Amino acid sequence: MAALTCSALALSAGVAQAQDVLRVGVIGPLTGGGAAWGLGLDGGVKIAAQEINQDGGLKVGDDTYTIEVVSYDDQYKAAEALTAANRLMGPDDVRFIFGPIGSASLLAIKPMTEREGVQLYTGAWAADVLKDSEYVFRVGPTTQEFAPSTVQWVKENKPDVQRIGLIAANDETGWNSQKIQANAYSEAGFDVVTTEFFERTQNDFSAILTKMLAQDPDNIELDTAAPRTAGLIVRQARDLGYTGSFTKFGGFDVDELVKAAGKQYAEGVVGITMAAPDTEVWNRLGDEFAKLHKAEMNDYVVMFYDAANLVFSAMENAGSLDSDDVVAALESSAPFEGSVGTMTWGGGEAYGVDHQIYRSVVMVEIQDGAGVVIGEAKLN
Amino acid sequence: MLQQFLVVAGLSSATYMLTALGFTLIFGIMRVVNFAHGEFLLIGAYTVFVAQYNLGLDYMIALPLAAVVAGGFGIIAERLVFRRFTGDETGGMIVALALAITIKGAVTIIWGVDSQPIDRPFSGSFQIAGAFIPKDQLFAAVMALVLVAGTYWLLNHTRLGLAMRAVAQAPDVARLQGITPWKTYPAAFAIGCALAGFAGALAAPIYGAEPNMGEAALMKAFIVVVLGGLGSIPGALLAAVLLATIEAGISILFNSSIAALASFLVVIVVLLVRPAGILGRT
Repeated sequence: MAALTCSALALSAGVAQAQDVLRVGVIGPLTGGGAAWGLGLDGGVKIAAQEINQDGGLKVGDDTYTIEVVSYDDQYKAAEALTAANRLMGPDDVRFIFGPIGSASLLAIKPMTEREGVQLYTGAWAADVLKDSEYVFRVGPTTQEFAPSTVQWVKENKPDVQRIGLIAANDETGWNSQKIQANAYSEAGFDVVTTEFFERTQNDFSAILTKMLAQDPDNIELDTAAPRTAGLIVRQARDLGYTGSFTKFGGFDVDELVKAAGKQYAEGVVGITMAAPDTEVWNRLGDEFAKLHKAEMNDYVVMFYDAANLVFSAMENAGSLDSDDVVAALESSAPFEGSVGTMTWGGGEAYGVDHQIYRSVVMVEIQDGAGVVIGEAKLN
Repeated sequence: MLQQFLVVAGLSSATYMLTALGFTLIFGIMRVVNFAHGEFLLIGAYTVFVAQYNLGLDYMIALPLAAVVAGGFGIIAERLVFRRFTGDETGGMIVALALAITIKGAVTIIWGVDSQPIDRPFSGSFQIAGAFIPKDQLFAAVMALVLVAGTYWLLNHTRLGLAMRAVAQAPDVARLQGITPWKTYPAAFAIGCALAGFAGALAAPIYGAEPNMGEAALMKAFIVVVLGGLGSIPGALLAAVLLATIEAGISILFNSSIAALASFLVVIVVLLVRPAGILGRT
């Protein structure tokens, strides 16, 4: 595994007596495109684990565990995710895995984890992620949940917008999300005039944008493009004379987008995040995140911090580390308090199982290089 | 749309030329496939970042500095790593890959995985005949063409260039004429890596500097060089134009995935007809 990154974090609270160790896994893009999300996932889980260890450890029944986080880099690729999952489930003896982020990665490992009863707490977006599964939980809302609300926001707040251009990554995540976005915009009365896909490794979008801009869109929906990629698309579109608006309803990171697009071009881009930037929770987690990774704080830290706390709490409530016991405890734990609000389970109608987290999602607009909260998106 | 297509193809052609030039130069003279070429481009990009953010230098000073730094690393790499693999294409490839992984890993450890912002020397675009020409990409393309012309002049109108060509054509005969390959190789490697550093420094304000930027650049350079003929500079230039035109055209007509497919199909067809590449030596 050429790009394997293995970091085993054993966090000791300095407890006098020896404790058992509970290993949990992280699989996500720790390098390359999407690294902002992968490092957020890794950081969120590690911060939650660290806090529990410092409080004396995780109490499950009569035992107390020190939580150890074992992380692997899948580089947003299915093959790497498979290797990582094999390693976690084999030599590392992990039964609880946070991630992957990429839908292709998750769908590649899901048959194996379902067969072995290994639980996945994922941010992957494709609808098939949750279908026909017992042990997969999605810990953040996806386009399926928020698209009607975000599209309605565009309708109410951007009355001049009628023609929509959609651009997404050429993979499972992008295909799935763009289909939902296109339906949501069409049902709301917009004209989806152009839809394009790009490769995740792509940096130059001049040709794609030339084709898109020829259709004269009023708004370009950046969907699930990685934040840096979205910034490059914004900049290159502006350089090609595009004067319309941008929305990014899927994986927003203000700092990364502004860095890539430049402050001037990023002005007015609207997106959604799991937590409002520059709040007490954001800043506290950001300080802890900075100790773990040389990357900008983003909402995936909050999302997976909450998910990890939810899972560890379910283990304590179940009094057991048996997979089925933990699943039952998770399913019965709703509603539960996250760091920025109440969360609950849902998604039974769409996915056949209520393993989709519903949590607050805020609308953020980039103003003068910073994210400013402008509203809240109600989930479908 | 036709005008914009011509702009996109033209700007991309120039960038591909510069990215591929150093790669084919090193192979042509040393018979070394420098799979670390992308990482010398990375060194150029990060030199600009360090020069701007740590030293407070203007981009126009950071640009040539990036080439000097990349070229300097090239001389060190040639002396310590590649010299013993001259002529050994397989060994050179393997050690180049190892060097590439090392450089990329070092960059990631030092600066992290995030893309580093580079102050853009130019912003906005010109509008001519209905086409938009981004100023920063135009600057990069013009500089690329100047460097390509400069390299051509060096190879064809200087004693050093004459020595390089002699060593490339017949190293033993060159030795008999008093041209020492061990003095020529460091110069060739330095120039090849300096060109890569320049390419990275020109790309950095447009795309940012991030640890993975070398991989895509290497892939592009490799395709251009194989298509044009390994070791053939005119071939690389012609292939760069061909590849950029196909990619731009197919992307605009269809999508970027089909464009990538078309590019590789062209490479396969050309190599089936001319296994040495368009202008490669048979």
